Amino acid sequence: MIELIGVSKRFGDTTAVDDISLRVERGELCVLVGTSGCGKSTTLRMINRLIEHSDGEIHIDGQQIRDFREETLRRRMGYAIQSTGLFPHWTVARNIGLVPRLLKWPPARIRKRVEELMAMLGLSMEEFAGKYPRQLSGGQAQRVGVARALAADPDILLMDEPFGALDPITRETLQHELRELQSRLQKTIVFVTHDMDEALRLADRLVVMDGGRIRQQGHPLELLREPADAFVESLLGGEDRGLKEAALLTVGERMMPLSPRLLPRERISRHATLREALSMMLWRHAERLAVVDDEDMPVGELSLRQLVGAKHHE
Amino acid sequence: MRASRESESGSSDTEERSKGGVNAEVVNKEVINKEAVNRDSPRPNVVLVSLLLATLVAWSGLDAVSVAPNRIVPGQGHAAWDVAGWPGFLLSLVPMLAVLALAWRPDRRRLRWALGLAVAMLAALPAWLALASARLVDADLPQARMGVGAGVWVALFLLLLALIELRTRLALPRTLGWSLLLVPLASLAAWLTFGLAPLALRQEFLTRRDGFIAAIVEHLLLVGAAVGVSLVLGVLLALAMRRWARCRTLGFAVLNFLQTIPSLALFGLLLAPLAWLGAHVEWLAALGVSGIGAAPALLALVGYSLLPMVRNTFVALDEVDPGVIDAARGMGMSRGQVFRQVRLPLAAPVILEGIRITTVQAIGLTAVAALIGAGGLGTFIFQGLGQAAMDMVLLGALPILVMALIADALLGALTDLTRQGEAT
Repeated sequence: MIELIGVSKRFGDTTAVDDISLRVERGELCVLVGTSGCGKSTTLRMINRLIEHSDGEIHIDGQQIRDFREETLRRRMGYAIQSTGLFPHWTVARNIGLVPRLLKWPPARIRKRVEELMAMLGLSMEEFAGKYPRQLSGGQAQRVGVARALAADPDILLMDEPFGALDPITRETLQHELRELQSRLQKTIVFVTHDMDEALRLADRLVVMDGGRIRQQGHPLELLREPADAFVESLLGGEDRGLKEAALLTVGERMMPLSPRLLPRERISRHATLREALSMMLWRHAERLAVVDDEDMPVGELSLRQLVGAKHHE
Repeated sequence: MRASRESESGSSDTEERSKGGVNAEVVNKEVINKEAVNRDSPRPNVVLVSLLLATLVAWSGLDAVSVAPNRIVPGQGHAAWDVAGWPGFLLSLVPMLAVLALAWRPDRRRLRWALGLAVAMLAALPAWLALASARLVDADLPQARMGVGAGVWVALFLLLLALIELRTRLALPRTLGWSLLLVPLASLAAWLTFGLAPLALRQEFLTRRDGFIAAIVEHLLLVGAAVGVSLVLGVLLALAMRRWARCRTLGFAVLNFLQTIPSLALFGLLLAPLAWLGAHVEWLAALGVSGIGAAPALLALVGYSLLPMVRNTFVALDEVDPGVIDAARGMGMSRGQVFRQVRLPLAAPVILEGIRITTVQAIGLTAVAALIGAGGLGTFIFQGLGQAAMDMVLLGALPILVMALIADALLGALTDLTRQGEAT
């Protein structure tokens, strides 16, 4: 658990972060989002003391971060950044083993852990262990970056625009993988991004920042449905909000049981998002879709009315 | 699982690319056939052709050797046909013309032949000189000596350039390129032992054998001391400059100023204060500090060496990717660990580059230091100039050249070695 209480950061006369309070529960993925210069990166870097906060208190599992030695504190947290920060003169395996080595794990345990992580992130040991970062694609390098952050199995993971430099397709793949990884590992993650779609896709808790202050925080759906002010509303996509919300809801939440009517030909998985369902309706000129489960068996149906309206259904 | 998918798509990508390459080749061939233009061998290698043409001109137009009855009298020049007669001269042109022909339509196989011929020609040069000494030097005159003429020097130089060009074209590794030179060197050593007694350089060497070896040792000691001291000082200075901005501006200003003083002037400027120190401070005098000699030379050499050393070290340390340093600190490395395990190894190639530049520069500058009595190979150069004995000048200059080349090659190889991890 991470808790920030009235935290500020001043550089000379300018205030980068102004009296923010934030609580990230254990196992929660908290995304800080905002335009550049809004103080989101500064906030993240104050948590592992790469930047010292000027005022307020930051607690990790109830303990002030200033009670730890800087190095000890950082070794307890994973850290992944946009440029990956992989050491170009070290092999992939050595890069991943960095923090365990700093913690003086025995070599055999480090080797085992590196193998485990590479398998977890889908990097084949034979192919990648001996490679140097320059030989990797952007996506592979970022996977290594995430593996390195997870190496010593920290409870807390700090990620500063880790997917910012990737192409959209790789980025989406990695976002998906991170979500999957998170559902298994249940880390406490603070994730900084300026990409609202990424933020909405990943966040359990969404924190919108502007001018060093927190404008609004909460579950992504909460923010979409009730933005606190015009700034949050415009940042969340203004007129696109409906589609963004639809992207957060699944077909399973809105479908109706099978009716005696003829089953529609177009099928969609119950795990698909409402946005995908709407897209399929537009594309196929269909008002009704058959909803199927993982075995492709029909379990319900979804009509355009249920998809869009359905106020009574909530 | 995702990565394997990605790598699969990657490999199919390359497959497609290679298919594309094949297609492109096929298309090219078709175009060529259609146009019925004979373009199966590429254009002439302009560099090699002009090098070889220049070699031909120098070889035929300039003196091959000069022969003098003794050391004092100026020698008389002899052209290449005097050395071997007209048939022999024409025969000597054959390999050059052959390389010329090979370079006109170069492909890999032809360039390999050209490389072999160039090495063979270099190896044959000492034999050519031996032939000249046997035919042109009067055996009854024990003082008679033979100087290497401009034609042979120029041919040697141009053929070495041709060798470098061939090495680059054939993309031979550095070590192989250097080992090619062993053949001509072995030939030179053999001919120096068994023939070539009248060669002036050899005679100059024999009369000064002890002095020559001592001079080389002095030269190397001076260079070693200058590079060593400036390395230690340079790294310390660079570290200080990184920490304090004021130190940076001041330091670079002073070092840049030092670099602009001509070397002779700096030696002169140091004369007075060091002479005074040597005369008034006993322990300094005991250390050998005086207005002339090794002490002022070393000081000046260090002064000149500091700028390239500090500049390279500073830039090397400063330009390490900030993202890497940020990650290193964020992972929980201490400042010392970041410096030793990340910053320094990543800066090493550029720092080594600085050492290489400094060393090569110091080897040359040390020659000038002979003027203030520091010893070293420069002694021969200035004595030779004073006596108008060009062979003696060469006795000093050639080893300096060789030392600079060897230092350059060794430190260059070391730099490559430290870069290896980063290379793909």
